[in-house]
Amino acid sequence: MASEPAIAVDHLVKRFGTVTAVDDISFSVAPGTIFGLLGRNGAGKTTTLETCIGLTKPTSGRVRVDGLDPAKRADFEKLRRLVGVQLQATSLAEKARVREILDIFAAYYGLRSQPQELAARVGLADKLDRFVGKLSGGEQQRLALALALQHDPPILFLDEPTAGMDAFGRRILWAEADRMRAAGKTLVLTTHYIEEAERLCDEICIVQAGKIVAQGTPAALVSAHGGDASITFLARGFEPSERLAGLGRWTPAGDRWALAVHGEPGRALGAIVSLANDSGIAIDDLDLRRPGLEDAFLAITGETLDEDAAEAVA
Amino acid sequence: MRSLRLLYAQTRMDFVWYFARDGEMIFWSLAFPIFFLFVFSFALGSGSTRTTSTFLVPGLIGAQVLSSGFWGIGAMLATFREKKVLRRIYLTPLPAWIFFTALVLYRMALLAFQAVLLAVVGALVFKVRVIGNPFEILTILALGATTFVSLGAVVGALVRSTESANNVASVLTVPLAFVSDAYFPIDRFPSSVAAALRMLPSTEFVDALRGIAMYGDSLAHYTTWIIVLALWAVAGTAVTARYFRWV
Repeated sequence: MASEPAIAVDHLVKRFGTVTAVDDISFSVAPGTIFGLLGRNGAGKTTTLETCIGLTKPTSGRVRVDGLDPAKRADFEKLRRLVGVQLQATSLAEKARVREILDIFAAYYGLRSQPQELAARVGLADKLDRFVGKLSGGEQQRLALALALQHDPPILFLDEPTAGMDAFGRRILWAEADRMRAAGKTLVLTTHYIEEAERLCDEICIVQAGKIVAQGTPAALVSAHGGDASITFLARGFEPSERLAGLGRWTPAGDRWALAVHGEPGRALGAIVSLANDSGIAIDDLDLRRPGLEDAFLAITGETLDEDAAEAVA
Repeated sequence: MRSLRLLYAQTRMDFVWYFARDGEMIFWSLAFPIFFLFVFSFALGSGSTRTTSTFLVPGLIGAQVLSSGFWGIGAMLATFREKKVLRRIYLTPLPAWIFFTALVLYRMALLAFQAVLLAVVGALVFKVRVIGNPFEILTILALGATTFVSLGAVVGALVRSTESANNVASVLTVPLAFVSDAYFPIDRFPSSVAAALRMLPSTEFVDALRGIAMYGDSLAHYTTWIIVLALWAVAGTAVTARYFRWV
C-alpha cells in the first residue's frame, strides 16, 4: 500500500443487546478519498460512522482513524481536533443565535471566530442573528455542516448530511465536498440517496443488514452489477443487419426496437444510426438509457432505495 | 488564561440561552418562589407573618438550591443527552470541566438572583431582615449549591431518559423540600422522625443557611454540617465522574 490509510476498519462488530447493528465490516479509506457508506436506514451505516469518531465502542474488531484508536481516551482527545463531524441530528440551544454558536465553537477549538465567512460558505450569511430554533430543518443541517468545517479538519465525517435539505442545501454540501477533494482531504459520508453517492463518492460501500455487500468506485459497481444499457427507437421498415444483431439482445415490438447492450452503448448506437442512414430509414423517438448506481444497488441488495422506500423503513 | 476566558464565555452563553431568553424559565424560576412566599406566609404562619416569612425566605432559597441541583443540573444533563447536545460537545475539544463548571456557575448566578429577589421582597412586604454576615451567607449558599449540584449531577449520570430524569427530579425536589425544614419547621414531626430528618443534607443546609442569614449564627457554629455537606459534594462528584456518559 502506497500510504497509510486515513481510516481503517477491520472486522468491526457492534451489538446492542441481541441486535447486531454492524456485523463484521472491514474497509479502508485512502487519504484524499471521498468515501460513501450507502444503504437503507438501519443498515448499520451510522453505527459504523459513530465507531470511527469514538461515540460508540466496538463490540469487537479494530478501528483506526489516522492511526488513532477512537475507543482510547488519549487517542480520542487528539482525534477530535483532527476530524470534523456532522451528526444526523445536531441539536443546539434553541435560543442561541447562529453567530453565537459559531463564535463559541470557534472558541472550543481556540480559533478566532469568522462567523461571517463561515456562514456565507453554508448559505447562512443573512441568518447570523437568527435564533437556532427559528431555522428551518435544512438551515439547521447547514449550520451543523458549518460547525464540522469550523477548524478546517483534514478528515470529515458526515452522517446523512443532506437528509431534510432542499436542493440549495445539497448544492452547498456538494460544493464543499468538491473543495475537500481539491484540497486532498478525506471525507466519509453515509447516505441513502443514490444520486448523492454517485455524484460525490470516489468509492462506495453498499451496506445491508450490518454487512458490506459490495464495494468499489461508482463506475465499477455499475459496470459489474448495473446490467445492460438499452437503446430503444421507432423505425418503420428497420431490420438489424447481421453485424448489428451481434451487438446485443434485440426485442422488436412492431416498429419499436429495443437493444440491450452490455457495456458501452456508443458503438451500437453509431452502427444503428449509420445503417438507418444507409438504407434511408427514419429513426424517431430514440432513447438511450445507461445503467446507473440505482440498478447496481437493486441487483446487489434486491432492494430499492428511493426516498419513499427509505422513509418507510425508518 | 484561555481556559478562564472560555469558561466565562460558556457560562455567559448558558445563562443567556437557557435563562435570560427563555420567558417560561424566567417566570418559573423567579415568580414561583415569590408566589410561595406569599401563600405560605399567610397560610402556614402560626404567629406573625413576619416570623413566618423570616423562616420561609431562607427555606425557599434552600428549596431553590435543591431544585437547581436536581432540575437545573440533573434533568438538564439527561435532556442534553437525549437531545444529543452532549455528544456534539463531546466531539469538540472543549474540556469537560469547563462544560460542567459553566453549567454550575450559570445555575449559581440564577440562584443569586432568586436569593436576592426573595430577600428583597421579604424585606419590603414582610419586613424580613437578613442580619447575617454577607460573606458567610455567600459561603454557605455556595457550599449548599455545590453539594446539590453535585447530587443533581448524579441523577443526570445515572438516569438515561429525559422523562425518568424529570420524574426523579420531581420526586427528589418537592418532598425533600417539605421534610427539610424549608417550608415549615420539622419540629412538627414526632421527635424521632425530626431527628432522622436532620440527618438529610438538605435539612442541614437549610438550617445552616437560616441560622447564619436570619439569626446571626456564625459559620463556625455549623462546622460539622459544613464538613458533612462537603463530603456529600465529593461523593456526588465521584459517582458522577464514574458513571456519567456523554452518549
